[in-house]
Amino acid sequence: MIAALARTVAIAGKEVLHVRRDPRTLYLALIMPVVLLLLFGYAVSFDLDHAPLRLIDQDGSESSRLLARAFSRSTEFDLFPARDDEGLEREFRRNRTLGALIVPRDYGRDLCRGRRVRVELVLDAADAATANQILAKAEAIALSASPRPEGAITPVEVRVRTRYNPEERSAVFVVPGLAAYLLAISAVLLTALAIAGEWERGSMEQLFASSVGRLEIILGKLLPYLALGMLQLLLVLAVGATVFEVPIRGSLLLIFCAGALFLAGMLGQGLLISVLARNQLVATQAGTLSSMLPSLLLSGMVVPLDNMPRVLQWLSNVVPARYFVHALRAVLLKGAGPSLVWPDLAAMAAFAVVIVTLATLRFRRTVA
Amino acid sequence: MNGFSIEAEELSRSFGEFRAVDRVSFRIARGEIFGFLGANGAGKSTTIRMLTGLLAPTSGTARVAGHDVSRERGTVKTLIGYVSQKFSLYLDLPAWENVLFFGRAYGLTLGEVRKRGEEMFSATGLSGLESSLTAALPGGTRQRLALACALLHHPAVVFLDEPTAGVDPVARRYFWQLIRSLSREGTTVFVTTHYLDEAEDCGRVGLMAEGHLVALDTPAALKKAHVPERVLIARGQLRRSAADELRALPGVVDVQTFGAVLHLRVDRKRWAAPSLQSWLGPGVVVEEGEPSLEDVFLAVAGR
Repeated sequence: MIAALARTVAIAGKEVLHVRRDPRTLYLALIMPVVLLLLFGYAVSFDLDHAPLRLIDQDGSESSRLLARAFSRSTEFDLFPARDDEGLEREFRRNRTLGALIVPRDYGRDLCRGRRVRVELVLDAADAATANQILAKAEAIALSASPRPEGAITPVEVRVRTRYNPEERSAVFVVPGLAAYLLAISAVLLTALAIAGEWERGSMEQLFASSVGRLEIILGKLLPYLALGMLQLLLVLAVGATVFEVPIRGSLLLIFCAGALFLAGMLGQGLLISVLARNQLVATQAGTLSSMLPSLLLSGMVVPLDNMPRVLQWLSNVVPARYFVHALRAVLLKGAGPSLVWPDLAAMAAFAVVIVTLATLRFRRTVA
Repeated sequence: MNGFSIEAEELSRSFGEFRAVDRVSFRIARGEIFGFLGANGAGKSTTIRMLTGLLAPTSGTARVAGHDVSRERGTVKTLIGYVSQKFSLYLDLPAWENVLFFGRAYGLTLGEVRKRGEEMFSATGLSGLESSLTAALPGGTRQRLALACALLHHPAVVFLDEPTAGVDPVARRYFWQLIRSLSREGTTVFVTTHYLDEAEDCGRVGLMAEGHLVALDTPAALKKAHVPERVLIARGQLRRSAADELRALPGVVDVQTFGAVLHLRVDRKRWAAPSLQSWLGPGVVVEEGEPSLEDVFLAVAGR
């Protein structure tokens, strides 16, 4: 037992030496995620910010000006007054404007008489997500700007409070997802490369001929990268908290527990790939694909899982990134405790156990 | 233990339909240098991989250092050293780090590894190269490092799979001095090689051909048994067509050209040095030679 531990430590120590010899691994592990996080964090934003909107005021009354002012006061829109919709098509194509707000003639008069009024909104829906957001925001502004007739009682009043991300900033939503994505890629790649390299070099056979056991090789290889992964997580969280002001409401310990379980699964996946591929080129490609696509598309990082076809939803159940993203958001944003995220932890632990077992079994059969 | 360091009995291994090693049996005494010869694909490496526990035999048994390689693989591994065909130390680490790692992989404590590593470094002439990057060492030096790493845990048996392939002659000679001193200290050495001059240094030689062990004995006995013909060496003013003409003569079994020298295997009853000399004419010197293992190899493998 003690001998096995010593051998595992020897392998882990050797791995540290390899990493020290070849700092590219460190760059890949520590600098890339931060760079990507900054890039993605700034680039992936679903926030409406000064969307150009053409204002065609055919009425020109006090009421219509009031409506226009409500729009231009919001930070979401920039209004450009115009006389008609001539050339609108051309501006859409050139991306000069995202829509046109058309206030009809008699808007002010009808409003004063308590009649139903219509305001027209023409949108460029080539980007459906943005169009949807403009629509929702425009509707809200228009509603709040229209004066209620004197003495009228609105039967139901909806007051919306968005909890956990009151300013609805995308970064708060994206950073936890990105953390999972970046950890997945580098963990899978690093182990896949480390072990495939051992095959390519021929030193794996040398290890097998020594008294080192298979499990000792696996653990010795995984542990240093687990530590590196935890360092990555810390770095990503620190950048998220300082640059993007992502709150950390829950316990850090819980986050790192979730991180360790997630990483164990990802490292196991890299291990399995390298045992099957046995060369670094194939391992790199298989590792990138198998970690990037599921954790990008099936984790709920960008695309909400609830909106997906049933097959994909079902498939996402075996993607550990899904549970990690969920747990991260719950703990970071909502301050959730272990009693709430344990199903996520359990799912990630199960994945890790299954995949490391598979890899070990497959590994065992390779030589003997 | 019954005095034998390696015992193989009816050892076989198939890969699908292909029978790489077919019912091979031999016994190797403690401290013996056993040379394992054969063409590429004759089953040498497969046999070594079975004896070192890297590959399970399809049938048959093998005992190494007194333990069954199939049933007591873990124990066997602690008693053997292995230098594989492919150089498989870590090139990106300094020489000494390789020693530290393999020593601990074999279960030695750090203190033991340091002490033993220093001994092995001075025994294999590596002292002073501790901090050299392994990748920067010349081939022969690397192989000595691989040997040093394989000897750290005092193995009773070492398996060397073509340890001198691609190593220059001086380095090869040095490497074989190490092998002989190991044997003197009682370590059994099981070595495969393509260099037949190296095989002359072995206590006994086994010859593999197409998965079968076709010959096994001391080099001298092998020569006697497999090369019953007289070996004649002719040098001097030889006609260009001499080799072809000689091959056509009755009683000439084989003619090999080595530069300007001819090696002949001839029927003892029909030919001797003087008769060949007179046939070749003046200006040619013919003398009787010792058959080499090369002759044995050709006689056995060419059958």
